[in-house]
Amino acid sequence: MKKLILAVFLSVGFTAVHAQEAPKLYTLPSPFERYTHYLATARFTGALPLGSFSNSYIDKSSFKNYSISLEWVFQNNVSVGGEIGSSYFQKRLPRALYQGDDETISAVQTRTLTQHPLQVFANYHFLGKSSSIQPYIQISAGVSFIDYTVYYGSLAQQQQKVAPAYGVGIGSKFLFKKDGSFGLDVRAKYEGTSFKYDYIEKGTSSLNGSVGIFYRWW
Amino acid sequence: MVCDNVKVILKNKKYREIFKSKMFKIKFRLLNILNSKLKMLKITSLLILFAAIGFSSCSNDPISDLSTEETLVYLTNRDKTADYAQYKTFSIVDSVLVVENNRSGTALTEIDRDLLQRIVTNMQSLGYTYVSPKSNPDVGINAAWVTNTQLNVVSQPSYYGNYWGGGGYGYGYPSYYQYYETSESYWLISMVDFKNPNTVDKTYKVIWDAQIRGAGIGSTQLIDNMVDSIFSQSSYLKIK
Repeated sequence: MKKLILAVFLSVGFTAVHAQEAPKLYTLPSPFERYTHYLATARFTGALPLGSFSNSYIDKSSFKNYSISLEWVFQNNVSVGGEIGSSYFQKRLPRALYQGDDETISAVQTRTLTQHPLQVFANYHFLGKSSSIQPYIQISAGVSFIDYTVYYGSLAQQQQKVAPAYGVGIGSKFLFKKDGSFGLDVRAKYEGTSFKYDYIEKGTSSLNGSVGIFYRWW
Repeated sequence: MVCDNVKVILKNKKYREIFKSKMFKIKFRLLNILNSKLKMLKITSLLILFAAIGFSSCSNDPISDLSTEETLVYLTNRDKTADYAQYKTFSIVDSVLVVENNRSGTALTEIDRDLLQRIVTNMQSLGYTYVSPKSNPDVGINAAWVTNTQLNVVSQPSYYGNYWGGGGYGYGYPSYYQYYETSESYWLISMVDFKNPNTVDKTYKVIWDAQIRGAGIGSTQLIDNMVDSIFSQSSYLKIK
């Protein structure tokens, strides 16, 4: 009987304690809300060429694109940072005749465009830093190191240039764990450069969809 | 250049790992040295990861999947002022001119014979009549195998790891250079106007020429195909 009373007493007491502690569990905001902090993201990107770049040079989607970014997240909704990346477009055309003024070339053409964009960006976040979903919009500007190579058969015609680059994007961060350091980043972004050469008459442009993993620390 | 550097780093990592496993077996080194080496390996792995992400695109070889036939490029040039209908007869050189940088000679190998024979066949089907070189042909055909060779030099990057510890010392190596040679060959076929010589300059005008370039130009199986291609893309040569 004594044992039974003890058990009832303990269980009631425990429930009471449990009920009392519940609202106290989280009283301080997370350090990510209290302090400015850093955030690094590695992204894999699929890119769809757009506009005249797609019409006159390469219209094939590319999945050989990567980037790394580092950003500084302020206490308000803004973050700024830098991003360096690598992207590669390629298209093969079957043998065809290319007519010059008094010259005719017959060749299998392989068109390529390699880019290493280096950009600074600013993000505006719509929800707080402890929210497990953090949608944002982004604008970016910088330069892109571009290699334009067209192969006629095994012969190459190459042009390398540094061109201004810019972009606007919309995306969201998803935390794996509440107030955790790691999370998923999904972003859709329009990116363009003012590179003009031969087939590319009006600069390059593409719609990039990327999936990345981020880590944040303070 | 960046790609080469990355490759060298990867190689060094492999060697280092082999070395390390040996060292473990012999128990030759003290534990703290091994620890520092492990740390270094971690850093190296990070660097390699970064390099792999950042520069993976430069390891692309976009034309490695081309077949021999697909590597071939046919370039033809015409003299727009020439009226090809005025020519009736042609002749052709009896062997191929071989030009290497500034030296030249002649050759008549199997592929050369096939080339010359196929040119004759094509010219005849375009309506020209073959005559011997001594019978005053209206046009003459020259065929040449041209090779340009260049010597290039690059400085060799230095990666020595830090197996010997170093104790703050680096390596005092002189600058090493690597030489490599590139050479490109192509067929050059030209058509010369003997009917209207320039009597002032004493020259004959080249009214058409063709270059065959690419990795497959030495292929005896493809030589007929090559010759047919340069003529089929020059339909203005047809006189009948």
